[in-house]
Amino acid sequence: MAAVAQQSRFGSVFWTVLAWVVALIFFFPIFWMVFTSFKTDADAVKPEHLFLFTPTLENYLNMTENYDYWRFAKNSAITATFATLFALFVGVPCAYAMAFNPSRHTKDILVWMLSTKMLPAAAVLYPMTFLTKNFLQIFDTHFLIVLVLCLINLPIAIWMLFTYFKEIPKEIIEAGKMDGVSTWGEIKDILIPLAWGGVASTALLTFIFCWNEAYWTVRLTTTEAATLSKLIEGNRAPEGLFFGRLSAVSTAAVGPIVVLGWFCQKQLVRGLTFGAVK
Amino acid sequence: MAKRKIPRLLQTPAVVLLLLWMLIPLGMTLYFSFIRYVLNNLRRPEWTTPSFSNWRGFGNYEYVLFHAKDFWFAVQNSLFIVGCILVGTVLLGLALAMLVNRSFRGRGIVRVLLISPFFVMPAVNAVLWINMILDPVLGLNGLAVGGINNIVNGLRDFPLLGSFFSLWPEFEPVSFRATQTSAYAVIMMVTWQWTPFAVLIFMTSLQSEDEQQKEAAILDGANAWSRFRNLTLPHLARPIAIVVMIQSIFHLSLYAEIEITSRGNGNKNLPYLIGEFTSNNIGAASAAGIFAVILANIVAIFLLRMVGKNLMD
Repeated sequence: MAAVAQQSRFGSVFWTVLAWVVALIFFFPIFWMVFTSFKTDADAVKPEHLFLFTPTLENYLNMTENYDYWRFAKNSAITATFATLFALFVGVPCAYAMAFNPSRHTKDILVWMLSTKMLPAAAVLYPMTFLTKNFLQIFDTHFLIVLVLCLINLPIAIWMLFTYFKEIPKEIIEAGKMDGVSTWGEIKDILIPLAWGGVASTALLTFIFCWNEAYWTVRLTTTEAATLSKLIEGNRAPEGLFFGRLSAVSTAAVGPIVVLGWFCQKQLVRGLTFGAVK
Repeated sequence: MAKRKIPRLLQTPAVVLLLLWMLIPLGMTLYFSFIRYVLNNLRRPEWTTPSFSNWRGFGNYEYVLFHAKDFWFAVQNSLFIVGCILVGTVLLGLALAMLVNRSFRGRGIVRVLLISPFFVMPAVNAVLWINMILDPVLGLNGLAVGGINNIVNGLRDFPLLGSFFSLWPEFEPVSFRATQTSAYAVIMMVTWQWTPFAVLIFMTSLQSEDEQQKEAAILDGANAWSRFRNLTLPHLARPIAIVVMIQSIFHLSLYAEIEITSRGNGNKNLPYLIGEFTSNNIGAASAAGIFAVILANIVAIFLLRMVGKNLMD
């Protein structure tokens, strides 16, 4: 018996160490990016400065000069914020109606909404360019990017909200109805306070997806509404010349989102599996 | 009457928006796929505006299927990339989920470290991997191979063993921007990014595993492998299916990674090929687009059925 306990203690240390090692390996590319961002461009490609170097903030201080970072960051922040707000504005009433007054078709509508998400973007690339450039003349505007980001994330937002709203007992909403509260009042005063956590995590996740989007934000913009994805993609191959400054701008582009992501890892499962894994 | 009306009214904006978003562009793609439509053609300027008089029937489809260079390569390559990523993420995801699914010191931090890659934006992911890590000269790839060569060179001067090491060749770092290897770079970076997703889902699912059953199996003398094989794996069958389907849909439309890695050199997938057609031959791009929709739908139908089934419980 003692031998078994001994062995399992050794086993437990072994598995713990292994888990740590694997986690560090997985995190290493991100660490390396942040690490490189503190090297000068010259140091970043010298093997003798691989680990030992004089850290510098110059890459961060020169981000505006080198890449016009803040303009792109501002565009990313504006489009992602408004797309998220708009998605909630349209999505909350819809999910509310579906959760508390389901009809025969609710399930089909939900599944259909999800199916729009599965349409390959490339298939409609030209029609979208054509419509927005020649016809509506909203190509490369914040409005267009907000609209597109909202539309591609709306199905996921509605699904998430729906699964959260369904957990609220129907009686509470019914009670509000008895008291003669208006529909808007029900949503604002009863539903949202009750499902606050769900709404917040839906917003957070939608924001992350908007920020990271790399197809439409690149294809439907040139300069005015260009986001960070476009900035990074435009500097794809510096051939080693600018590893330092490129790492800095990349770190600045993903840093806030990775940290936000840490807070909603649990909700991610709900948001991306559409409630199919519990 | 009013009771039915309000819920419907609340759903209308979302439904109408998504309906327009789906029908208009897709309808246009369908229309363009049946006409001759090119952006530049000096000989036949009438083809540069979309019109019914340029009707081509299934000509674009025929062109894409049988004459366009790269179409079959792109389809094959799309499937190859998706297949490799799926195998990688599911296997790694299973292993890591099992590894983290016990309580140990610092589990919270380990989870945070493991999940982080998933939130890195695809453009940064690709730029980071192809430059800082995989570059054959200045990236870690090149530096590591250079380091190994230096060590081997040093060992050559040793008495006795030196003759053994002088048989070793000089190692060449692999360039992942080259035509044959860029697909592997894409597979590597996407696997890195999406393994956390698989881990997270498997972990969530493992938490609902029947512990008593497991303990009973231990008492019956079942070893760890047979417990995993006969209890855990069947329990995870459904999450694995979900992970496979969701990732298929996402990775069939990979774009940024392919663009950044090699600009499609030797490594095109279907969306990338459509992008190339779009620079001139809209008819062909649209026909290829319809094929992409069909390909995605094959996966999507299974997924939607599965998701829909347990929707209302």
